[in-house]
Amino acid sequence: MLTLNKPSQRDWTPILREFDAILGDSGVIRRKEELLVYECDGLTSYKRRPAVVVLPRTTEQVAAVIQACDRHQVPFVGRGAGTGLSGGALPVEDCVLIVTARMNQILEVDLDNQRVVVQPGVINNWVTQAVSGAGFYYAPDPSSQIICSIGGNVAENSGGVHCLKYGVTVNHVLGLKVVTAAGEIVDLGSKIPEMPGYDLTGVFVGSEGTLGIATEITLRILKAPETIRVLLADFSSVEAAGQTVSDIIGAGIVPGGMEMMDNFSINAVEDVVGTNCYPRDAEAILLIELDGSEVEVDTNTRRVEALCRQNGARNITAASDLEERLTLWKGRKAAFAAMGRISPDYYVQDGVIPRTKLQYVLQEIEALSQKHGYRVANVFHAGDGNLHPLILYNNAIPGELEKVEELGGDILKLCVKVGGSISGEHGIGADKRCYMPEMFSAADLDTMQYIRSVFNPRGLANPGKIFPTPKTCGEAAKSVAADSFPTVERF
Amino acid sequence: MSQFIPVLQSVVNGEQLAAWEQVEPPLRAQLKEALAPGSVPECVVQPNTPAQLAAVVKQLYQEKGRSLSFGSGSKLHWGGLAQGVQVGISTAQLNQLIDHAAGDLTVTAQAGMRLADLQAHLAQQNQFLPLNPSYGDAATLGGIIATADSGSLRHRYGGVRDLLIGITFVRADGEIAKAGGRVVKNVAGYDLMKLFTGSWGTLGILSEVTFRVYPLPEASKTLVLSGGLEAIARVTQALLASALTPTAVELVAAPTMQQLGQDGLGLVVQFQGLAVALDAQTAQLRQFGQAAGITATVHTDAAEATLWKRLAEQWEAIAPSPALTCKIGVWPNQAAATLAKITALYPSLTYGAIHAGSGLGQLRFDADLPSASSLLDLRRLCEAQGGFLSLLAAPTDLKQQLDPWGYPGNALELMRGIKQQFDPDALLSPGRFVGGI
Ligand SMILES: Cc1cc2nc3c(=O)[nH]c(=O)nc-3n(C[C@@H](O)[C@H](O)[C@H](O)COP(=O)(O)OP(=O)(O)OC[C@H]3O[C@@H](n4cnc5c(N)ncnc54)[C@H](O)[C@@H]3O)c2cc1C
Ligand SMILES: Cc1cc2nc3c(=O)[nH]c(=O)nc-3n(C[C@H](O)[C@H](O)[C@H](O)COP(=O)(O)OP(=O)(O)OC[C@H]3O[C@@H](n4cnc5c(N)ncnc54)[C@H](O)[C@@H]3O)c2cc1C
Repeated sequence: MLTLNKPSQRDWTPILREFDAILGDSGVIRRKEELLVYECDGLTSYKRRPAVVVLPRTTEQVAAVIQACDRHQVPFVGRGAGTGLSGGALPVEDCVLIVTARMNQILEVDLDNQRVVVQPGVINNWVTQAVSGAGFYYAPDPSSQIICSIGGNVAENSGGVHCLKYGVTVNHVLGLKVVTAAGEIVDLGSKIPEMPGYDLTGVFVGSEGTLGIATEITLRILKAPETIRVLLADFSSVEAAGQTVSDIIGAGIVPGGMEMMDNFSINAVEDVVGTNCYPRDAEAILLIELDGSEVEVDTNTRRVEALCRQNGARNITAASDLEERLTLWKGRKAAFAAMGRISPDYYVQDGVIPRTKLQYVLQEIEALSQKHGYRVANVFHAGDGNLHPLILYNNAIPGELEKVEELGGDILKLCVKVGGSISGEHGIGADKRCYMPEMFSAADLDTMQYIRSVFNPRGLANPGKIFPTPKTCGEAAKSVAADSFPTVERF
Repeated sequence: MSQFIPVLQSVVNGEQLAAWEQVEPPLRAQLKEALAPGSVPECVVQPNTPAQLAAVVKQLYQEKGRSLSFGSGSKLHWGGLAQGVQVGISTAQLNQLIDHAAGDLTVTAQAGMRLADLQAHLAQQNQFLPLNPSYGDAATLGGIIATADSGSLRHRYGGVRDLLIGITFVRADGEIAKAGGRVVKNVAGYDLMKLFTGSWGTLGILSEVTFRVYPLPEASKTLVLSGGLEAIARVTQALLASALTPTAVELVAAPTMQQLGQDGLGLVVQFQGLAVALDAQTAQLRQFGQAAGITATVHTDAAEATLWKRLAEQWEAIAPSPALTCKIGVWPNQAAATLAKITALYPSLTYGAIHAGSGLGQLRFDADLPSASSLLDLRRLCEAQGGFLSLLAAPTDLKQQLDPWGYPGNALELMRGIKQQFDPDALLSPGRFVGGI
């Protein structure tokens, strides 16, 4: 683990006085032991203590805090629930961490127009809970949905199991109230899509806290489908499961979600969750969720079952009622946690490949796993080619993290090589910025910086994230960890 | 006299470059509709590779030449008037299909490709790009993206922004840059696809674009209902609050329905998907109709295609005198009432339709066009419903009297800042966009 703390270089007294005036005592956290929980996000291998944490409740307070940061030239980092997996909310040196936990109000539920307006600290599944009584739901459903915040979802453009059919966060955000890094409050978009002007809502979503802080978010909600059915099919080879995915898409069926797990992750989940529903001897399982009208689901179920059988599926289990469906999903949703139980540490990689390259890429990942000498479990959103290889290691052994990051990096390069992307949903953050040049030219990256320089002219909002800098990445961006924090002690 | 022809001759062949007087009269007329009166471009250039497009733009950058990009020109009569344009850049020859990855449900093509040609390719693999914009036969991918012009299918598939997953473009300084990629899920880097969608050619010129595509639906049915405001509003709300999954839900103004031989406000609903599933869906909508005292008529096959074609024709028709067309937005739950109100207030309304799910719509007036002040009233009416009104096509003098865009928000300075970064000398489509951008 790398702990990145250094003594503060700044006199915080005048700044803290301003924060106290804006937020009151209870809204400002300074004590070291209280700051501990804010040292890292879900990427726990890097830690750095923020100088101060603020807990605003309103847009105006966020604006006042950011204006103070601007006056004093202090960098700030936004944080929702801290479940991000790319170090997006990792504090930067001597920074203010703006935590949205107290901005947790659902401001408006407008069922007629199918819109909900929330503060950023609202937890993802609260939105569905607020509207499910009337038969609606909020579609983007990251596995972390019971803990992650909508603000974090917006910043990362998070996906979920259902994004194959329904799209990711950006497809469900219509408008934002934002405090820019210069401290100005602006409204982007509205309740109605395609307002005149540039689509700044679309640009802000996925900007990982580098353009400012979102303080109000207008979401689109959807009517729940009439029928939902989950199919679990198990296969004696990964290739057969992969072929089934291609065949389903090829047949013109777009399932709500389509997930795959390999033998290693099946066994990890059975060890830990013990659902007894994923056969331990299967080389791969597919979870396929079909939704729509009853006739449609019935018909597609038959077609999907036939395609599974045609590819040698051994057993197919179908579940329609809520409880049975949740049982089938349980293992998949617990996959990350299960890794944490069977290995001291695990590193979640997030890459995307064209779906048709699945079999080749899985073979290559296996080869890389052997070459580097670390076990890799594969859990992924098979329908859209979003892989989550989980690399198991032991952080207590010096040097392991660096080697694991190198393996993770090789997997990313492989994804780019076959025409994919270095992140499907977890973001670039601090973790992957040095791999951006694998995908983008200097001109591409310069052009993206145009946006940042408008929202964030003095570079105070989440500096050092997303974009590679010579200082952090060096030229070859090879050993990322070693290069990014050269002066840091290692434990 | 000629400043740009000689420099452009160094990067393109003679037949790709036409002095203004040599440009075919119909295109000249179209271009003029996008330009502020007073000057005409010196020439029109048609690069045929992305590298050539970049070279053209770089030359113009060095000479500080102002350009207007266009595809086939179908929407040049829309939007703000470009100021002092010296060169027209057509992407019509950048029309190659790059890659249809059918198994990945993506397609990459050059930006000057016509949507109709793309659809023909995709259909060979039983797939399609679910966009049905204006002038669907002539419109190019670049033009559709630049104007964010989608049609009724947005109800199920979203707008242009929701389908565009990668772009390559030529910047104002002639550098080629890209964003996104060719996979459907991708969060690496800022989403410039969203920024370019609806940017009216003011940030860069698209050379290559990648879309997410979908399987062609197996079957299709369209139901038409018409009646009084209250009944139609009730059916619409019942439909939207149900678990039915239509691909299109259009509220249609009475004068437009009249052209289809029906009285009253219209609701046109399309269902697409598995043939066996359509009956149950349409039966349920009929029930909603019956509960409100309205009978639905069902259209399939050729009759269905004709129905949609006749609706599109009313919107797109080239009138003897210039028509006035607008894009509007209103709260979805007020869409029926707003449409009825506009119909009552404006006798010259010939076409009116609002996508009931999103609240976005289109209005067209012919003959006695509303005056600038009456359009301002109409804009206020839309704004009072949380929305907006932008002029698309309008007589030039009207566009000079009235800000065509009507952006009601407070982020104009950010937008100007972005334009300033992308195009500091205001060389690309200057003046076409919001706030004179
Ligand atoms: C009054 C009028 C009526 C018409 N009626 C009909 C009709 O009934 N039926 C019919 O088929 N056609 C009609 N047309 C026109 C038709 O001429 C076209 O052939 C056409 O459909 C093409 O448009 P486009 O999508 O390429 O967009 P364009 O009109 O060429 O461009 C629209 C906007 O997009 C921008 N843009 C275009 N390409 C790019 C790019 N690559 N990168 C960045 N920005 C770009 C432009 O700067 C412009 O602002 C009509 C035209 C006019 C003027
Ligand atoms: C077990 C587990 C499962 C997961 N499964 C998924 C999954 O299926 N799909 C998926 O996409 N992700 C998944 N994630 C990743 C993570 O949950 C998401 O990225 C989530 O959106 C982060 O939300 P958060 O509130 O925790 O944000 P944080 O981690 O606190 O912050 C994330 C980023 O958002 C910025 N930010 C936070 N709030 C704001 C704001 N209001 N304005 C501007 N910027 C802000 C931060 O600066 C940071 O860059 C998973 C994580 C875990 C631990």
